[in-house]
Amino acid sequence: MSTAPRRQHTLEVLVENAPGVLARVAGLFSRRAFNIDSLNVGPTENSSISKMIIVVGVEGHSLEQVIAQLDKLISVISIKEISTDKAHAVNDTQPDYQN
Amino acid sequence: MATHVPTANGTEMTGATSLVKSLEAAGVEVMFGLPGGAILPAYDPIFDSTIRHILVRHEQGAGHAATGYAQVTGKAGVCIATSGPGATNLVTPLMDASMDSVPLVAITGQVPSAAIGTDAFQEADIRGITMPFTKHNYLVTDPAQIPGVIAEAFHIATTGRPGPVLVDVAKDALQKMTTYNWPTSINLAGYKPRVKPEAQAITDAAALIAQSSKPVFYVGGGVIKADAHKELRQLVELLGAPVVTTLMARGAFPDSHPLHMGMPGMHGTVAAVTALQKADLLITLGARFDDRVTGKLSTFAVNAKILHADIDPAEIGKNRHADVAVVGDVRETITALIPALKAALAKSQPDLAPWLRQMNSLKSTYPLGYDLPDDGSLSPQQVIQRIGQISGTDTIFTAGVGQHQMWASQFISYEHPRTWLNSGGAGTMGYGVPAAMGAKVGAPDATVWAIDGDGCFQMTNQELVTCALNNIPIKVAIINNESLGMVRQWQTLFYDGRYSNTSLDSKRVPNFPMLAESMGCVGFACDNPADLDKTIEKAMSINDQPVVVDFRVHKDAMVWPMVAAGTSNDEIMIARATAPDWDSQEL
Repeated sequence: MSTAPRRQHTLEVLVENAPGVLARVAGLFSRRAFNIDSLNVGPTENSSISKMIIVVGVEGHSLEQVIAQLDKLISVISIKEISTDKAHAVNDTQPDYQN
Repeated sequence: MATHVPTANGTEMTGATSLVKSLEAAGVEVMFGLPGGAILPAYDPIFDSTIRHILVRHEQGAGHAATGYAQVTGKAGVCIATSGPGATNLVTPLMDASMDSVPLVAITGQVPSAAIGTDAFQEADIRGITMPFTKHNYLVTDPAQIPGVIAEAFHIATTGRPGPVLVDVAKDALQKMTTYNWPTSINLAGYKPRVKPEAQAITDAAALIAQSSKPVFYVGGGVIKADAHKELRQLVELLGAPVVTTLMARGAFPDSHPLHMGMPGMHGTVAAVTALQKADLLITLGARFDDRVTGKLSTFAVNAKILHADIDPAEIGKNRHADVAVVGDVRETITALIPALKAALAKSQPDLAPWLRQMNSLKSTYPLGYDLPDDGSLSPQQVIQRIGQISGTDTIFTAGVGQHQMWASQFISYEHPRTWLNSGGAGTMGYGVPAAMGAKVGAPDATVWAIDGDGCFQMTNQELVTCALNNIPIKVAIINNESLGMVRQWQTLFYDGRYSNTSLDSKRVPNFPMLAESMGCVGFACDNPADLDKTIEKAMSINDQPVVVDFRVHKDAMVWPMVAAGTSNDEIMIARATAPDWDSQEL
């Protein structure tokens, strides 16, 4: 695996307030081997939209890739990075593997 | 076929009728499916619909047929199944369509909404199951939502990066009365694919190309999806740089074109693999740096800058950093790039002649080839090559997965897009026959050959019954090496010839011609090279029934060249333990 330093980023993600959306987001992180350090879901002033606050631990993937994959979910309306810890030293390629 | 008359909004009907009217409104002409309890209400209005429903023998066949139909026509393929096992049998085709970006809409019945979550008979959480490999999916429990969801499903499946969408409809939503209301527009807050590339990205791309002395066009399946082959050819001829077409892009650029170096990747040509490795710029168009193309990623095209044009922003930088990224429809991108490149080349025109000379030298020194078996038995490569030559370049070919697939990619000359259909990303054995069925339905006037393996054929051949009964006269060439040939090849090369569970004995059992005949097809066999051409011609002469030919070939033939999994493209072998003679090449 990567030797890049672990970085945490906090994302504010607006999603459709609909059944299964949490599973879509959690499943995406799981199958792409992205790390969720924490995840909170709450309502917004618009009852059809929920807000997720996701703290992402970036190891072996770029933050850009995490955001781009999240953005592909039709249920995800917008993504904003609201804080990051210090540096941006992230890997932009996946490790080599054999199969 | 009856003409479709649009249904007026505001009409009262059942959810099931609303579903079928919605499919008609979405322009569906054909769907492949198999009924069962939960979806049964929908099958009643299907009985009266303008949509041709083709009753398959297994839902997997419906899914791959819809995929074949979509890949030939460019329209969304539609498959329909019932809840539980009917739905789960669509899982493999959905994964397949997702990996190869095929527009597909799958309709499944679900148990009544009150029973969801109770482990009811034939209940499966197909929305949950298919989340990882659908572009989007739905569970509909309110019949009023049906038209809107169907309109969205087709919009999502066919726009942006195409992909499969599944719509699961609870049985009670099909049974209840509702008011039909087809939407006049679709507005999805979370789905706005960028079609038109940014002007600055085009300018940067043109500048980067004009600075390169060793550029290569790395062409992927997106070029075919975007119907950008004509524009691609203009761009290629404007620059005069070599081209490689990936497994998913065979036919996007004519094989006969002098700038075409062939297919890159694990079983690519020496010229195509080396072009990527030695280039100073990869002009990447609708391709995704798949591991089968890059080999060991850290050693892939190490001196090349990357221009990456793709409609999916998530592909940019996923596997390889892009120096210039162009997000948008690849046809729009190429169309914009042509004048921009003309302008850039007017300022500085690099001399590509030395680079082309090197590549042409590799292309002529290391053409694809094969040795005929010493014992006079049939060569699988020759069988496939002759089928291609005899049936011509307007023929549509499908393949299963394995050696025969690689040979069909290598030894058939593809001149036109949408004539080569295979399971590239998923590697789905059994794709060939049902995909050929769907392709023939989508292009009834074309000759459709499934180049299949004896292993693959035994996974999905039941759809030949569907073909025989529905006047879908496909042709199937079983390349029968009585083994799981590609796995056996790996055992030969990497497991010391220990052939654990790869012998299928398919020259003894089953009797393929008899099996074909029992399914309403014409079946015959060929095992003598002297009979090869007349056997193919006989198959070509039968157009009122499906034909199955059992080509009984030599079982030790291997696919070359080869870059072993996990190794560098620099370690390409042209035969066992034989590397190209790099010293004789000026690179």
